[in-house]
Amino acid sequence: MSQSHQKQNPAFYAVIACLVFMAVGPVALMFINSFKLDVDIISGTGGLLFLPTIQNYETALCDVLWYELDHLDFCSLKFGGAFINSLIIALISTALTLVIGCMGAYALVRFRFMGRDTVSLTTLMVRMVPPAVLLVPVFGLWNNEFCLDKDGLLGGLIRDAFGGRGDVCLAGTHSGIILIYVAMNLPFVIWILQSFIVQVPRSLEEAARVDGAGPFQVFFLVVLPLIKPGLAAAAIFTFRIAWNEYLLASALSDRNTKTVPILIVNNMSEFNVEWGVIMATGMLLAIPPIIFTLLASRQIITGMTAGAVKG
Amino acid sequence: MPAIQLEKLVKRYGNVEVLHGIDLQMADHEFTVLVGPSGCGKSTTLRMIAGLEDVSDGEIYIDGKPVKHLEPKARDLAMVFQDYALYPHMNVAKNISFALRLQRRPKAEIDAKVRDVAEMVGLTEFLHRKPGELSGGQRQRVAMARALAKDSALFLFDEPLSNLDAKLRGQMRAELALMSQRVQKNMIYVTHDQIEAMTLADRIVVMHGGYIQQQGTPEELFKRPANKFVAGFLGTPPMNFLDCEVVDEGGAMHAVGKGFRLRLPADKAAAINAHSGRDVTLGIRPSDLTFDADAARDSALNLRTVVSEYIGAQSVLLCECGGAKVMVEINSEKPVALGSELRFAVNPTGIHLFDRQTEAVI
Repeated sequence: MSQSHQKQNPAFYAVIACLVFMAVGPVALMFINSFKLDVDIISGTGGLLFLPTIQNYETALCDVLWYELDHLDFCSLKFGGAFINSLIIALISTALTLVIGCMGAYALVRFRFMGRDTVSLTTLMVRMVPPAVLLVPVFGLWNNEFCLDKDGLLGGLIRDAFGGRGDVCLAGTHSGIILIYVAMNLPFVIWILQSFIVQVPRSLEEAARVDGAGPFQVFFLVVLPLIKPGLAAAAIFTFRIAWNEYLLASALSDRNTKTVPILIVNNMSEFNVEWGVIMATGMLLAIPPIIFTLLASRQIITGMTAGAVKG
Repeated sequence: MPAIQLEKLVKRYGNVEVLHGIDLQMADHEFTVLVGPSGCGKSTTLRMIAGLEDVSDGEIYIDGKPVKHLEPKARDLAMVFQDYALYPHMNVAKNISFALRLQRRPKAEIDAKVRDVAEMVGLTEFLHRKPGELSGGQRQRVAMARALAKDSALFLFDEPLSNLDAKLRGQMRAELALMSQRVQKNMIYVTHDQIEAMTLADRIVVMHGGYIQQQGTPEELFKRPANKFVAGFLGTPPMNFLDCEVVDEGGAMHAVGKGFRLRLPADKAAAINAHSGRDVTLGIRPSDLTFDADAARDSALNLRTVVSEYIGAQSVLLCECGGAKVMVEINSEKPVALGSELRFAVNPTGIHLFDRQTEAVI
């Protein structure tokens, strides 16, 4: 190919450098600033000339560190708890979304029933509703409607076990947030997985049926392994959305169930913005999605090399 | 051992009826080939036997037992699909043993069976490969091994060779014939390729437009086609058809058309006498025409040669006779002048007459 020997236009490199800077710049800035004292950050002198400190990380992780911190009298930031909340909510909502999503997608693709096309289209349209629109009604429902009477049997049991006052409501619980995340992500997952399931040749399922597989065996032994790349892609998306979500979690969580994004924002008060700690928490917040994406994307790659069989 | 019987089998998609009451009986250990052009309903018939399509009307009996409402797995059959339908995420051994594993057979038995079958089709060294790493022919073998491993009484093949290239197809065809002799099972094989049908079948069932046109041994169908469709479908190059009229000329029946006057042999003359119509279609296979300049005028066709297609030992001459195209199969060793009018003797036993309206043989 003559093209590969051709010298690239310098402008091409300029554009690439520009794009790389735009993508990496903020992260790098956050990374650098997370090692600076607030004084250094605010003074704005000398971008790279500073004495690095892990004090911000210590402050951020004060409730999980095993040693006393000199610079801190009281540990107000409960990062550890919020981190676990985030993990619980993101992982469970992702798992639930995938389980329900793959079955829903399979039904929409393979089964013939009345209104199938309408259902398929509606799932996508539900996705178009901005979460902000959901916020007020869901807040109302979670606080007032979907409650168990504290004097009732189940509500009483829960109140006895976990304590607290008032009726048992979804608001402020992990389940409340997980539920709304599942509802929010499900249409998208169904939509992604549909396109993967369509590609599974029908004859594979027929072969499995002739070989003696029942409907569930066909699904779990033949279809599911083949759409693994799709499941991985959907998992990355749902996990990322659930992990980063701020708006709904801010309204539906309480002190004990708040997630990391809310913790970060709560760290800003009208008197003081602790930039260094915010940067450090931000860096910590970014780690789990990176790990999750690496794990899940390995599935995508193995799935791609396994390849479809074509004559 | 099962005999398969189809009774007035009907398939409808919505209001469209695609199979119109198929009646068919297959004897034990018989290799039956359903053959026909695309859309003739042969695959649908097979899939209904397999239980992958619902039966709209009629009944299927396997071993005297009605199976219309049974799931595929309850019918004790194995199937080879056109695209092989190998499970891409399982290696060859897992593919072959899938049905056995579903039946929860003991592991030792499964391993032994996989080894046996793999050896039979020559896959022993590929057992740990994924289907994606195999060639087309090897995948075809895996598909057959998977069917063999199941030990079913009935084998169904849905155009299994159509995805292979021509050379491999010939090779696999021979292997398939060998396998069918060895395993002695009931086999139903669907194809649109009449050569596969002729070479493999104990019995050919020619289908067209949702009807069975004719069934019988390959030889029966080739020598005594029941109608114009069967005559034209089986055999390469295909049979030549010439429109003509039967005329009685002093006691001798003649087929008279544009550019020819052919005297009919006694049995055909008797048949046409019993027949009401006189407008017929004359059918002659290309192999029943031989170049013979000295042949009598009323037992030969005068053809103007147009193109010669060299195939090897044989050549196919494309000729013209009164505006109609006629193909002649000749020995390549004797060169033929193109563009000239030559005389070809007609083998009298190779003359077929069809009613021009009903297209049935006379």
